[in-house]
Amino acid sequence: MELVQKEHERLSKKIKASQGIKNVQTTIDLLQSARDAIAADPSQTSITLAKLQNSVKSSFDSINDSLKETHSSLNKYSKALDKLFKDRPLPNTEHDALSSQEHLINRAIAMHLLREGQFSVAATFLSEMAEKKATESQQQPGTSASENAATLLDIDDVPSNEVRKQFATMYYILHEMKENNNLLPAIQWSRDNREALEARGSNLEFELCRLQFVWLFHGGPDRQGSIPTGQQEALEYARREFQTFLPRYLREVQQLMGAMAFCPNLQDSPYRAIFNNPSAWEDVAHSFTREFCSLLGLSADSPLYVAATAGAIALPTLLKLQTIMKAKRTEWTTDNELPVEIPLPPSYLFHSIFVCPVSKEQTTDENPPMMMPCGHVIAEESLKRLCKGSRFKCPYCPNESHPREARKVFL
Amino acid sequence: MAAELTSTKLNAENHLLLDQPLLRLPHELARKNFKSVQRVVEREREYVLPSLKAAAGASLCNGQTPDQTLAALDAMISRMQGLKRKMENLHQEEKRLHNQSKKRIQHLENLHQIHSLADVKYDQWSRVRLDRLVADYMLRSGYTESARQLAHEKDIGDLVDLNVFIQCQRVAESLRRGESKDALQWCNENKAALKKSQHNLEFELRLQQYIEMVRTRDKGKLVEAMAYAKRFLSPYIESQSTEIHRAAGLLAFPQDTIAEPYKSMYALDRWSYLSDLFVQTHHELLSLPSRPLLHIALSAGLSALKTPSCHSAYTSSSSNSLSTTTSVCPICSTELHELARNMPYAHHTKSYVESDPIVLPNGRIYGQRRLLEMSKKVGCVEVGKVKDPTTGEVFEENELKKVYIM
Repeated sequence: MELVQKEHERLSKKIKASQGIKNVQTTIDLLQSARDAIAADPSQTSITLAKLQNSVKSSFDSINDSLKETHSSLNKYSKALDKLFKDRPLPNTEHDALSSQEHLINRAIAMHLLREGQFSVAATFLSEMAEKKATESQQQPGTSASENAATLLDIDDVPSNEVRKQFATMYYILHEMKENNNLLPAIQWSRDNREALEARGSNLEFELCRLQFVWLFHGGPDRQGSIPTGQQEALEYARREFQTFLPRYLREVQQLMGAMAFCPNLQDSPYRAIFNNPSAWEDVAHSFTREFCSLLGLSADSPLYVAATAGAIALPTLLKLQTIMKAKRTEWTTDNELPVEIPLPPSYLFHSIFVCPVSKEQTTDENPPMMMPCGHVIAEESLKRLCKGSRFKCPYCPNESHPREARKVFL
Repeated sequence: MAAELTSTKLNAENHLLLDQPLLRLPHELARKNFKSVQRVVEREREYVLPSLKAAAGASLCNGQTPDQTLAALDAMISRMQGLKRKMENLHQEEKRLHNQSKKRIQHLENLHQIHSLADVKYDQWSRVRLDRLVADYMLRSGYTESARQLAHEKDIGDLVDLNVFIQCQRVAESLRRGESKDALQWCNENKAALKKSQHNLEFELRLQQYIEMVRTRDKGKLVEAMAYAKRFLSPYIESQSTEIHRAAGLLAFPQDTIAEPYKSMYALDRWSYLSDLFVQTHHELLSLPSRPLLHIALSAGLSALKTPSCHSAYTSSSSNSLSTTTSVCPICSTELHELARNMPYAHHTKSYVESDPIVLPNGRIYGQRRLLEMSKKVGCVEVGKVKDPTTGEVFEENELKKVYIM
């Protein structure tokens, strides 16, 4: 990389210092002055022209010289690039499993744009997609008009309006929260979805209300507001809203009320963590996004982002594998599993992974993990192979059990 | 947990696999630009020097009036001025390309300052990369306006090659409509580079033009077609002899023939074949990969992330949208779920589970600490009981059983 940088710098310098145009201008000047001289004194024509020939030729030569210099730096830069990307060809493009699923990729991109809040780009993208589809179906004379209409309205391909609206709502709420410190839309949303949130074990609504309380306590909209009025408002808010929370969050509500007593010097009180939490707003925004996406069945971070990043991390390993397989002329026979382990950072592991300690295979639906009475887990196939239908000893402890007693578990 | 499984070390040099075209493309363009400079200079040199010599020679033997000499000089001056103008334009272009390269090198250099995948900076960098990949995908698929907007909103104009792809799309589009003028012009501009190409774009285009002439079955046109073939097809006789013989045979067959290969030569979808061939050749010439980078990144990424649980008929205990303590797996998320269905899943040699697994009477395995925490949060569970976050069943705490996962 440093080499590339250096060569490129040198190249840019060369180009900046390039004399080409200046030399052309000199040539023009030479020609012009010769012309003037001849026009003034036609008897000198031959001499002037003879002289001119040489000087014009030399100025062309110098143009070429400067071009040559540029050329050599261009070549050097090429070499630096070659060196940087040597042994790093792009993975082979023979079988591209994704190219047949263009509509799925398009859908993923559209949803990615929506969840990133790029609504205008997403809208353009969707309309361009519809346009392309329309022209394509026109070109295929076989499809009838009614079919065309059906494909255009195909909500499987394009994120439906519903999803778009949902994300618009999400961004509106987040905007209000971050820019205007206005928690009310978020609180309203969490009330509307209270049941679903509670089933998930989420305490988003309470977190939002608590932050609202703290915000009011600190003076609400005008931060300069005197503490007593803020306190008053916060107290009123608590009386109005916290009733519903009492059964579940009694302790937390008590804490908030108890803090009132420490009002003048909250800094030294045990409650300062609640009242002076600089990251509180961000935390709440973050958990709001997560809950919102989860209720839509979506992951909190854009899957397209996670997958593309994981891909970039995985590529070097896959590439190495490709070279090795080519050199040894071997082929990987199982289609449904990658042949190598890909080192991903821990945040990229989302599911528990169970590898049977006996067969060293990952368990699947067809070959599920089974727990023996002693609490050890192995894959069903290994179990069958070990027991041969009768009582058998657990491979990891002295316990004996019958295969009937083994139970399927879910990780 | 295997140490190598969770490595966060970032090897920037290896990481640049996907970014090769980023530097290659402007460089190829700069080289092309440089060649045009060379060409225009050469052309003027070949004009000015001989004509100057001729003028000098003529004036020596007094074969020219001064007026003629002056006129010759004027012509030279105006040509040189033309050259200067052209060079200035090309120089502007050159500068623009090099500035672009510089910004791109800077962008890649930023990656070298990051040493861990867990770094927030890597996150940002990777997001920019995703924007680039998406823009690249859009441009290749012909969603030009979307790509332009995306590049504008994300401020990555210097990192995506809008114009190159737009031009490419324009020519490909014209071919699909059955016009070969633009494509032939492009071939003309890139004559030298095309010689090295493995595709025979120019020949195929010429052949198509010939076919179009024969298609009319008009006497005059047929004669014209033969002349055209002599002029443009016969130079390829060494490499393309069968094709040329077929082309000659085509003269004997009408458009609605059922005889192969003439039927397929007359076929209208030859145009879309030409369009694809053009795109291939174009990408090859500019060192662009033949398929979108996003495909490459995604197919690797989907496999690396996919686990057998992702498309399982049973809800996974460790990652689902029903519980707050887990984050939804990207493969299970709606966007990528179908796309990943036919991908291979990642290979693992070690189990990866929470450190304190327990099993519930219904066979679901959870981390104990996480399960208790979660049950407390749900609130509606009495003391001493736990709630299965996936199924919603409630169990006594003493029903939990330790499970050993090796």
